[in-house]
Amino acid sequence: MEGDVRMEIAFILNSSEVTVTVDGHRRLIDVLREQLGQTGTKEGCGEGECGSCTVIIDGRAVNSCLYPALEVEGKSVTTIEGLLGPKNELSIIQQAFVEQGAIQCGFCTPGMIMSAKALLDSNPNPSEEDIRDALLGNFCRCTGYVQIVEAVKEAAAQLKGKQ
Amino acid sequence: MTDFQYIGKKASRPDGPDKAAGKAHYIHDLQRPGMLYGKIKFSDHPHAWIKHIDTSKAERLAGVRAVITANNTPEIRIGFLRDNFALKKDKVRQYRDEIAAVAAIDPETAEEAVELIQVEYESLPGVFCPHEAMKEGSPLIHETDSQARPRTDNLVPLKFHHESGDLESGKRAAKFIAEGEFSTPMVQQCCMGTAGCIAEFDMNSNLTVWAKTQIPFLAQRDFNRALSDMGLPDKNTRIIVPTLGGAFGSGLDTHAYEYIAILLAYQTSSPVKIVYTRAEEFANLSPRQSSTTKIIQGCDQNGKLTFRHVEVLQDNGAYTSWGATYPSVMMIPATSLYRVSNVYFNARSVYTNNTYCQAMRGYGNPEHTWALESNMDELAKEAGIDPFEFRIMNRNEPDETTPMGLKVSTCGLKECLETVARKLDWKKKKNTKGKRSGKGMASLIHVGGGARIYRSDASGLTLKLDDFGNVNVFHGGVEMGQGLHSVLILAVAEALGVKPEKVLINPTDTGTCPWDVGTHASRGAFMACNTAILAANKLRSQIFELAEEVFPKEVEKNLKKFMKKNPGYKPPDFDVLKSAKRERFELCDGFIFIKDGPQESWLRMELGKLLRAIHFRSQGQMLTTEVFYDPPNELPDFERGFGNISATYAYGTQGAEVEVDTETGEVKILRMVAAHDVGKVLNSQGLKGQIYGALAQGVGYALYEKLQSQQGKILNPNFRDYKIPTVQEMNFPIDLEFIETNDSYGPFGAKGVAEPGLVPTAPAIANAIYDAVGVRIRDLPITPEKILAALKKSRTSKD
Amino acid sequence: MNRFKYYKPRSLDEVWELKEKIPGSLFIAGGTDVIVGIKNNELRPQALISLRSIPELDDIEVDGGARIGALATISDIIQNPELRKDYPVLVEAAKSFGSVQIRNVATIGGNLCNCSPCADMALPLLVMEAKVRLQTTKKSREIPLNEFFKGPGESCLSPHEILTDILLDPLHKNAKTSFMKKGRVKMDLAVASVAVLLEMESKTCHKARIAAGSVAPVPLRLSKIETMFEGATLTKKDVTEAQRLAEDNVVPITDVRSTEEYRRQITGVLVKRALERALEWKET
Repeated sequence: MEGDVRMEIAFILNSSEVTVTVDGHRRLIDVLREQLGQTGTKEGCGEGECGSCTVIIDGRAVNSCLYPALEVEGKSVTTIEGLLGPKNELSIIQQAFVEQGAIQCGFCTPGMIMSAKALLDSNPNPSEEDIRDALLGNFCRCTGYVQIVEAVKEAAAQLKGKQ
Repeated sequence: MTDFQYIGKKASRPDGPDKAAGKAHYIHDLQRPGMLYGKIKFSDHPHAWIKHIDTSKAERLAGVRAVITANNTPEIRIGFLRDNFALKKDKVRQYRDEIAAVAAIDPETAEEAVELIQVEYESLPGVFCPHEAMKEGSPLIHETDSQARPRTDNLVPLKFHHESGDLESGKRAAKFIAEGEFSTPMVQQCCMGTAGCIAEFDMNSNLTVWAKTQIPFLAQRDFNRALSDMGLPDKNTRIIVPTLGGAFGSGLDTHAYEYIAILLAYQTSSPVKIVYTRAEEFANLSPRQSSTTKIIQGCDQNGKLTFRHVEVLQDNGAYTSWGATYPSVMMIPATSLYRVSNVYFNARSVYTNNTYCQAMRGYGNPEHTWALESNMDELAKEAGIDPFEFRIMNRNEPDETTPMGLKVSTCGLKECLETVARKLDWKKKKNTKGKRSGKGMASLIHVGGGARIYRSDASGLTLKLDDFGNVNVFHGGVEMGQGLHSVLILAVAEALGVKPEKVLINPTDTGTCPWDVGTHASRGAFMACNTAILAANKLRSQIFELAEEVFPKEVEKNLKKFMKKNPGYKPPDFDVLKSAKRERFELCDGFIFIKDGPQESWLRMELGKLLRAIHFRSQGQMLTTEVFYDPPNELPDFERGFGNISATYAYGTQGAEVEVDTETGEVKILRMVAAHDVGKVLNSQGLKGQIYGALAQGVGYALYEKLQSQQGKILNPNFRDYKIPTVQEMNFPIDLEFIETNDSYGPFGAKGVAEPGLVPTAPAIANAIYDAVGVRIRDLPITPEKILAALKKSRTSKD
Repeated sequence: MNRFKYYKPRSLDEVWELKEKIPGSLFIAGGTDVIVGIKNNELRPQALISLRSIPELDDIEVDGGARIGALATISDIIQNPELRKDYPVLVEAAKSFGSVQIRNVATIGGNLCNCSPCADMALPLLVMEAKVRLQTTKKSREIPLNEFFKGPGESCLSPHEILTDILLDPLHKNAKTSFMKKGRVKMDLAVASVAVLLEMESKTCHKARIAAGSVAPVPLRLSKIETMFEGATLTKKDVTEAQRLAEDNVVPITDVRSTEEYRRQITGVLVKRALERALEWKET
């Protein structure tokens, strides 16, 4: 049977297959930041409250600070690093955040953008209520959220326009 | 009214793309080769003798490179009263006292090692209330002061006092009086990026610290002093400030954890990183200072204020940081918000075994305005005057000097009040039948032109032009998310005459940037942009002087090329040589041309070309200029409460419409309105973000936030039980208007506005709650529990 | 620093084998409680045995009644069309649970087994008189949910027992339900919460089930109100009386989140409002 102190796991990270050896007690955020060099995902609280660590696993937004690393075996993980386009250009959501003034210190930004992405991927036509519900678990101390909500609305409009 | 090219327009922040891509590197992300991880052992008691510290097990743990305590390191005193220590030796005075620290090869090993450190204490009776601490016979928190002189009480030796006019005659002249005791709690800055630093020595024992600081140069001074304590008196500290995950005042002091990182780095000869977890941050990083304020105000028959009497008491906690100096800022609204000639203000801080407090956005102003503006409504009620009318009739006006000696230049208070009243439909009062909604407003005054609270309020800026026409900027102000670099780029571009894309801001680094006292007191943009204008003007003079020689040659070449390409072209009748005089040049969008000359494409010179022309020649030169600007303000005498602390003052008014559920006590904010006298909008998007963000913090202060402490222990050191507003709590419209009063001291007319956004929020909401349900809550936060209890009390007292 | 081991068994038999081998191990479902508990040093397990890879544990079957696998996530419940139709009060509670990120991994079984007096999912299940299936290698038993909770953090599970399913009978066709929760802010543990279920025949109530959370050591059925309502023609007076009974029959505490007095009052208000909402009366 599997388990024990250290295990090798394989999963998809930002559309590429990765294999990494992981200690049993580690969380996904530890593996991303320390073993795979993906420091875009931030740890803001380690308790699943602030959402700075949000990543997308199999289409669903999750707090990587609460996600046991070994559980990611065989799954598809998207982090903020995975949003850049083929020419390393900012995605529409990222661009909307930049243009709407939704970024100040930026620490909450990757997590916030990932939650927005998870929302827009499953609900391209969100109401403002849907947006606020999707971002409830992403804290921001700098912006007061006004321009963040505007950025998500703008991104939704642009993504719709693209279709 | 000047029309600016870049100032006032919407401009995306330059670091936005990196932050959106997850490529901005905060201290949490930085690595240095060979770096070790530090972790601190904090006290298990609020007040106790340290009998013994056993670090032997920790030292033996594989992967541990150093374990330090006050016993194996030189004593380092910290804090502006020098009453604190990097590591505690004989005694712990609060739960978060740093007793020992470990450096290890990874954070988990460091954490394990800390758990292996055993401390033996002898418990002492603790004192957790300032009133208790002031009583005779109370246990002393500090037996001696920093000069080893014995202490006899727990009073912090700082005096904040003001008396103006004739208080007694003011009292006699009052027809109506309102008195109240108000309190504010400790709240946490809650930066999304927690505190941390990396300390590293080179082999010459010079130190570099990547620090989460708002005071790089004062930190340099503090750490150089520590180096001296460590036996390295001639060595230097270089502070580099990386991307910060917010600060909100938490970076205005140096902290024990930073000195500990330095000690560990020295001991191990390796870089050492210490980063607080969120739980450590809540429990061990100094929060906002709490306060209790007794205020009495009186007005005459017509509603004119006749006197104001204020007493403030603060729980200083175990050591002294900037919390103890909040009264220096409280004095500003106390003496100068609304016109009142007879003012008494006195403030005291008392040591206790609670956590000690530091700066947080507003720095005493939210605390005092909470009391003052709530009490203004109470007084308006006594006098039977509408709260808006009451404020209008007592408003400050431009070009006044206040009792504290503040020289008010521009003042948009009237416009702010009127704007809020208009937008809130103030005259349309609620339907008294069965409705529980209400409206309230509150105003503010804050420093808007720097704040001289230290020997210098200066800031330097260097502009270095390179061969490509880039403007390399070196400025010691700190970008912590507020958008300082964004406005600085706009200011340089505007003042110099280049495109914003050509303005490159260098990292804040004490090794390269000129001195700056610190990014606090909303002075960031005010100072950066004023120095940018001064430096840009200097450079323009130099450029235009050099252009006299270089410009004619260049345009002659240009014309030849142009005529080759356009054979039929006839150049206008214009004497270039004669016109190429320094006073006739202009620089715009990186091109030098003659102001009133013909607008031909060949009749201009790219800045980069000029710079290369003067560089690559015999006795060539490069252009760099530095300015050092100290604004026209004064260091007040805080014992007398007098001095023009700032070059200009920002005003504002916020209004709230709320609905109170009388069965649950819950407050729903229906909408907020804010009008802020900003002097001039420099970056509209950035400024909006600043005010929205501050307002959100104000809402948290008003309704949700409190660090709960019992017997010195923080009971809610996590986001589960310390609630900050989320996107749902901020689900109401905010109507924001900027009043531009175009202040002559401000860069392009602008005032500093980093803090005002949260100053009047809580009293505006409290006043609206009173309007809705007739209960006056005087301690923050206004929780449903308090409202229900107050409603119950008012019902029983009516029966 | 707890460097625990982590196991991902693929069948319940493997789970019990591991539990037998490692007495100092804990089960983990979504992890939103367990990982936080470990981080705060409240839990110090030698190993975690994950239930996430066991195939049948996250099924949701709705066919007349319902069988909800313990590992069904809160999001699974919200998104399940049959549950939304047939057991709306369960979905209401699920929507009030945490944030999207939490709902995507937290499980209904985990929420119940954590045995918090605040457990959001417990209240609707209590008023719908749900049963839970508890299994060991040797036996399987089904008990009513209101016998499951023994105290804060304490269930009736024996050390090797696993809660595998939540079982619901079909609701009465005239069942009216409602769930209400009050926190300090939107995303919060409940300061107080209430669920109601009323089986009505026009204005007469044949059966009432009312449960309150965060106001007793366990999620609590308010049986006095239930008895009072049985067979009664409900009027505003009854609802007001229910409010008073609720206030008198809960035992809240004062803690870092709220006060005893406030919780007591709020429970009464929530009961009143939940009843009014279930009965579709206009808010008074």
